[in-house]
Amino acid sequence: MAELTISMEDFLKFREYFYRKTGIQFDDAKRYFVDRRLIERIVATDSRNFRNYFMLLRFEASGDELQSLTNLMTVNETYFFREEYQFKCLVNSILPELTKSRKEKGPIRIWSMPSSSGEEAYSIAMYLLEYWPGINQWDVEIISSDIDTKILSQARQGRYSARSVANLPKNILAKYFRPSGELYQICDDLRQAVEFTRVNLMNPADVRGYRGFDVIFCRNLLIYFDDLSRRQAADTFYDALHPGGFLCLGHSESMSRISSLYQARKFSDSVVYQKSKEVR
Amino acid sequence: MALVKKTVCEAIEKDERKQGRDCSTLLRQLADPSPAARRWAVKDLIDCPDVSYALVELLGRETDSSVREIILTTLTKRADQQALAGLVHCLRSEDASLRNEAIEAMKLLPDEVAPIMGTLLADADPDVRIFAVNVLESLRHEKVEKWLKEVIERDPHLNVCASALDLLAEVGTPYSREALENLKSRFPGEPYIRFAADLALKRILSI
Repeated sequence: MAELTISMEDFLKFREYFYRKTGIQFDDAKRYFVDRRLIERIVATDSRNFRNYFMLLRFEASGDELQSLTNLMTVNETYFFREEYQFKCLVNSILPELTKSRKEKGPIRIWSMPSSSGEEAYSIAMYLLEYWPGINQWDVEIISSDIDTKILSQARQGRYSARSVANLPKNILAKYFRPSGELYQICDDLRQAVEFTRVNLMNPADVRGYRGFDVIFCRNLLIYFDDLSRRQAADTFYDALHPGGFLCLGHSESMSRISSLYQARKFSDSVVYQKSKEVR
Repeated sequence: MALVKKTVCEAIEKDERKQGRDCSTLLRQLADPSPAARRWAVKDLIDCPDVSYALVELLGRETDSSVREIILTTLTKRADQQALAGLVHCLRSEDASLRNEAIEAMKLLPDEVAPIMGTLLADADPDVRIFAVNVLESLRHEKVEKWLKEVIERDPHLNVCASALDLLAEVGTPYSREALENLKSRFPGEPYIRFAADLALKRILSI
């Protein structure tokens, strides 16, 4: 069989289509990365060439192949302080704005989803304690949800590999973790500070009671959903947020492509999405 | 002040509803003056029988964007005959945003839209035919290229053919080659058609 190659025309055609479907943009420097993965899927699907594969990608009713390729094109890894710029945005811009205009004195409520093994929720907690002076004036509730009960149990235990904590500053690692064999055990104070709950975002009965949040983190989840599920998730977050509440998505995700209900807000550290303050 | 762990399980599971959630009460709530009440009524109607028509009717007069969006999501999830007929009806609306919302919703329903696509592409109104081509833009269906080829072979309207041509530049294969060549002869005085057909042919031949 002749060696498979991806021509420049193929690359441009794929890039345009993939961006439209997922919001993920590859610049020319990513050509090798993209080509390798495309070839891998062409072989795996017995498509023989790019044209056949692109037709499969484009027209397959189930969308399964687009999902497989999306998984391959994205790095699915979680660790403490991942995409830290959004936590900076939280403490430098979002929370100061929210607390400035807030009339009631109730707690600030943050929903992190999917929880996975808890790194994001605990990162938010540590970031607030370390870098947000407002923590002295405000109570904060952090709720973290996932569909997978096994991973939630892992999150509650709070034991992490060296790789998971590698991105943490040394002083923070020392302050909130203690070594436990080859793992790191997060301190009880943080374990007690985060509530982990099981939620299927696509099940209306599961999410109905989740309301009154000020900030929602939902990073790198929507890229794995089909278009209708993304719309449904956008609706769920809309109902879960207070008027003026903020939604933080992953770096390759954009709410503007899913729903017109949110306003994109560009802060110095990150772009996030805001529900209108004027909801009647 | 500090991080606090609320007993959220209780708080979250306690779902206080001001009004009944049976289907007939929900239908009445579609006329509630509060957009939030209308939005929740639409959401909760998802499993009620024979309500798509009422949702389509509401869509036609609803001005609140959050309610419009949940109506479209709900119609798309229901995807029954009434819902589909309602979305098709929206294609004829004078309201551009309503038309676009209907197009976006129909793109998500390949199996439901496929049986009526031929009828839409033969509609007497060229605008509706263009909107049908717009639906094809993201429709996951194996017949997309066939429908587009038929448009550029038969449709008498320049703008309808131009819309199909733009899309064929992306999805066209050698199957459409002859139709693309012929299209240039069908509209000999239109430089854009020549340019776009040549571009589509170039892409097809480079495969």
